[in-house]
Amino acid sequence: MKKIRRVAALVLTMALLLSLFGCGAADGKTHLKFQIWDVAQRDSMQAICDAYTAKNPDVIIEVQVTSWNEYWTKLEAAAESNTMPDIFWMHTNQILYYSDFGMLADVTELYDDVEPGYYENHFSEISIGNAQGTDGRMYGVPKDKDNIFLVYNKEMFDAAGVAYPDENWTWDDLVNASQTIYDKTGNYGYMAYHDDQMGYWSFVYQAGGYILNEDFTKAGFDQPGTKKGMEFYVGLQDYDWCPKQEYFAENAPGTAFFSGIGAMYIEGNWELMNKCVSFPNMQGKWDIAPMPKCPDPVSGDGRATISNGLCYSTAAHGKTRDIALDVIKFFGTEEAQLLASSYGAAISAYNGTEQPYFDAFDKAGYDINVEMVMDQFEYGVQNVNNSAKPKWKSPVLDELNKVYAGQQSLDSALANMQQIVDTETAKKLAGD
Amino acid sequence: MKKNKLSPAALREQNWAYIMVAPTIIGLLVLNIWPFLQTIYTSFCEHLGFGNYKFIGLANYTEMFQTPEFWKATWNTILFCILTVPVGLFLSLLVAMLLNAKIRFKGGFRTIFFLPMVCAPAAVTMVWRWIFNAEYGILNQMFGTQIKWITDPNFVMISCAVVAIWSNIGYDAVLLLAGLQNIPKTLYEANSIDGAGKVKQFFTITLPMVSPTLFVVMIMRLMASVKVYDLIYMMVEETNPAVTSVQSLMYLFYRESFVAGSRGMGSAIVIWTVLLIGLVTVIQFYGQKKWVNYDV
Repeated sequence: MKKIRRVAALVLTMALLLSLFGCGAADGKTHLKFQIWDVAQRDSMQAICDAYTAKNPDVIIEVQVTSWNEYWTKLEAAAESNTMPDIFWMHTNQILYYSDFGMLADVTELYDDVEPGYYENHFSEISIGNAQGTDGRMYGVPKDKDNIFLVYNKEMFDAAGVAYPDENWTWDDLVNASQTIYDKTGNYGYMAYHDDQMGYWSFVYQAGGYILNEDFTKAGFDQPGTKKGMEFYVGLQDYDWCPKQEYFAENAPGTAFFSGIGAMYIEGNWELMNKCVSFPNMQGKWDIAPMPKCPDPVSGDGRATISNGLCYSTAAHGKTRDIALDVIKFFGTEEAQLLASSYGAAISAYNGTEQPYFDAFDKAGYDINVEMVMDQFEYGVQNVNNSAKPKWKSPVLDELNKVYAGQQSLDSALANMQQIVDTETAKKLAGD
Repeated sequence: MKKNKLSPAALREQNWAYIMVAPTIIGLLVLNIWPFLQTIYTSFCEHLGFGNYKFIGLANYTEMFQTPEFWKATWNTILFCILTVPVGLFLSLLVAMLLNAKIRFKGGFRTIFFLPMVCAPAAVTMVWRWIFNAEYGILNQMFGTQIKWITDPNFVMISCAVVAIWSNIGYDAVLLLAGLQNIPKTLYEANSIDGAGKVKQFFTITLPMVSPTLFVVMIMRLMASVKVYDLIYMMVEETNPAVTSVQSLMYLFYRESFVAGSRGMGSAIVIWTVLLIGLVTVIQFYGQKKWVNYDV
């Protein structure tokens, strides 16, 4: 008995030691870790990794998924000790923070040997902007692009005798349709909840306002267009047909929609496939439509949708930097981006690789108007961001929260939000 | 003549003693003492990002004391303690006494009461959120009420307190049960012969005899209540209109340190919380002389 225990202890110790040297790999191959946060995209990411391995048999890449919140806590700790994953996703919320501190490898010249002006030739301005640092250099290879749109319940529209939303819909149509549906079916209309990217941002840009000015140094909460958009969006909860913020604090609008409680809400295309798969009993009963436009904008044509995008990055001083750079160089090629699109989880950023994303819905038999997402990129607005965003995001949220709670007027909130963003941005700029 | 010098054998023994306690001491130093000292230092710094700090003196503290959110969070934390500790202790003692009585299925009941302790806090709060849900929750359905349990600023704190008490009763009761079982039966017998009733028995025997355990449980529960975080974080989201009415110090610390990245400010909040816990504990240790009975 004793002997067995000793042997077991020895084996365990050996296993422990081996795992320590695991990176050195006993098989003589290079093993890379690829960290992502969306479990719905694991398959597509593993597919492009395998495609790379097929070309470079000496490199094995393992995809690891962590939840969104944990992802950033972990990544920051790893960055401090220079043990970042070999390859990882970067988000616009964080890219400026990481790149300003020199944590990300500069990939501006990555494709110079292939084709000068590679990024400009193959990626949209928004995609490039979402992967750029404050200094205008590229700190990631664009991965995907997205935008947000209106999701609506066809059955409720039919029951209320209201025509489905289309590209000509305005804010007034949104309000009228919601009212009619509420009156005739008793269901909620458009569910306007407190959120920035999925909420008031698009409406502000539709009205001709802005959240940050062109060089991202000042907020635009004092602009007439911004005020118009915010007044409309926040005011939606005053209608009977819109649930109050208390409701949304307990019930996610997506859940309410797919439970058949509300007729409309705003969703991003990265969630579409997931929603189709998760709610099979709702199949054929819902569809998507472009964001309604502002009928009388202060400036512009009244159209806007927030368009975000992720990128593939690697650490500036990682041990496997050169191999990792070669991998993400491959991830940015037409071949890899076509492959990633075909899984229907995200629209690849490379121009012309979008179609497989839309085909994925047809192939799976989901009858929704996904092609509409493509048309919306025309008036997409780059996701709002500057290097001080981590500092102002929560306080701004709190100010608006007080408006929803009835503790402060929108005007005073806007003044405070303006001051918060300007102060934090100025502090950040002075520090650099 | 004093015997200062130890014999060589005794010295060897002493060395062994040090070696034996070394793992614990080293663990304590590396995992507790050192981070604590670092937290103190960090509270005097501004976090520039990725572990780079700039010494800024007392600026974090002066800013902290000027923010209304901070004072609100301090008050919320104190209120949470007031709501959970006395009621929680009373109920735990009650449960412990019932479990100590001669009833059938005692083992089964003990298991049931201890179960919340075994459940993951995240799962517990998920279930409670459904119970409390204003529109579809079982609580409002059962009583036909329309109370917004976790989104009304007047109710949210009570709702969180209920969940906290519910989660901890089992654990506290088990500790108190151990204390109750240490009371010699002969005391009760003697008391009964003297003709004392059950209520009098409770105040003259049970309470004084269990008071040392009660004291320990109370200190632990108070410390845990001052540090409350996960429960509130899970119950109340950032866009909940009632968030300011329930935001505790540790919740504020989380938002400062991990959401906004201001670890200096976060550390200052932690130091403030440590002082608060220290103060409360000191008061309790002085107070115990009045009611805790260590004589058998």
